[in-house]
Amino acid sequence: MRTLSFILLLMNLTTANAQLTSAKTVKRGFHQVTSVAIEISADPAIVWALLTNASDFSRWNSTIVSLEGDIEVGEKIRLKSTLDEKRTFKIKVKALTPEQAMTWGDGQGTRWFRITETEKGVHFEMEEKIGGLMYPMYKKYLPPFEENFNQWVLDLKREAEKISSTN
Amino acid sequence: MTGEDLAHAFEGFRDQLKSYLLRMTASVEDTEDLLQETFVKAYNGLSGFKGDASLKTWVFAIASNLARDLLRAQKRWPEHVTDICKEAAMNNQAFFQEAMQIRHTSPQGNFEIKEHIAFCFTCVSRSLPLEQQLTLFLKEVYDFRVKEIATILDQTEAMIKYYLHTARKKMIQVFDHRCSLINKEGVCHQCTELNGIFNPKQKAQEEVVKIQMARDAESKSKEELFDLRMKILQELDPFQSPAAALQLHHLEHNRKVMQGYVKKNSS
Repeated sequence: MRTLSFILLLMNLTTANAQLTSAKTVKRGFHQVTSVAIEISADPAIVWALLTNASDFSRWNSTIVSLEGDIEVGEKIRLKSTLDEKRTFKIKVKALTPEQAMTWGDGQGTRWFRITETEKGVHFEMEEKIGGLMYPMYKKYLPPFEENFNQWVLDLKREAEKISSTN
Repeated sequence: MTGEDLAHAFEGFRDQLKSYLLRMTASVEDTEDLLQETFVKAYNGLSGFKGDASLKTWVFAIASNLARDLLRAQKRWPEHVTDICKEAAMNNQAFFQEAMQIRHTSPQGNFEIKEHIAFCFTCVSRSLPLEQQLTLFLKEVYDFRVKEIATILDQTEAMIKYYLHTARKKMIQVFDHRCSLINKEGVCHQCTELNGIFNPKQKAQEEVVKIQMARDAESKSKEELFDLRMKILQELDPFQSPAAALQLHHLEHNRKVMQGYVKKNSS
C-alpha cells in the first residue's frame, strides 16, 4: 500500500513538473528578471481567490511564512518569505484585474502575476524584476530565486487543483 | 405550486432550516424572526419559483439572503471565542445559577458532551468569513451539493469549492490546536469541565469515550476527525435535543458576551 502511494505521489510530482516552465533568471546591467510559468487545471476564480486571500497564503504556499494585510489596490501588505525569514517586506499592491493580473512592488522591485484562461484551466505566470541604480552594488547579496519560484507555483497548482476536484 | 403546497413542503424541512438559522445567527430570537420572514417572502414570491432548483434549495436561498443581510453588519468572532466566554461566565454567578436551574427543572436540561461539541462548533465557526461559514454548514451539516450551494448563495461553483476547502482547512487547524478531545496538547477542555459541573456523578473519561471522534482521535486523520465532528452536528437538532434548553441558554450567554466583546474591540 505504501509503495503504491509512493508511486502515485511520484506520478503526480512528475505530471506537475511536466506542466512547469522552470524558473529562469536573466541578469542585465542594472536589473534582473526571474520568471516562471505553470499550467493549472482549475477555474481562474479559484486561482484568483488563492492569490488574493492574504491570511490564507501561508497555509498552502510553503515559500511564505506569513502575509498580512488586504490584497487590494493601494494597500500595503507585509510579507515574510522563507528566502529570508527575518525580514518583513513591505509591498504595495499596485494593480489588480480580477482573475487576470496583479502587480506588487516596493522600492527595489516589481512582481507580476498573470492568469490566462485555457481550455483545461489556466496558464499562470509569475515574474519579478529587481533592480535600479544600486543593483550592481547589492546583486551579489541576492539569493537565487529559481527554486523558490518553482515551489511557489507548484504549491499554487497543487492547492488550486485540489479545490477544483471538490465534489 | 400553490401556497398550500409551499406550506406543506416547508413543514418537511422547517426543523433543518431553523437549526441552520440558529447556527448562523447564534440567536433564538433572530432565528424565529428569520424563519417567519423566510416563509412570508417565499409565499409572496411563489410566482418567482421556476423549479430550476428544488423548493428546499429555493427556500434556503431566501433564508440565507435574509441571514446574510443581518449578519453582514455584525463583526465576526475570534477563534478563541470560547475562552472569552468562559472567562465571562466565571465572573457571572447568575449565569451558573440559571444554568443549574435549567439543568434541574427543564426536560431539555441535560448536559451531554456531544451537544457541547456541536454548540462549540457553532461558536468557533463564526470566526470564518461569513460566506465560508454558510458554505461549510450547507455542505457538511445540511448535505447540499456544491451546485445547490452555488444557487443558494448566488455564487459560482468554483467559489463555493474555494470557500468549502478553505473553511474546512481553517476549522481543522483551529480544532486541532484547541480541542483536547482530538489532541492531547489541545488547550480547551470546556466540554469535560462542564460535564463535571452539570453531571458530577459521571466520570468524564467514560463519557468522552462514548464519542467516536474522541475514540478515534489517534487512529484517524485530521480530515476524518473533522468529518466525525460534522456528523455530530448532522445528528443533533439544537431545538429538540434533550440538552436543547441548557445549550440554548449557553449560546445566548455567548452571543451577548461576544456582542460586547466585538463592540469594545472595534471602537
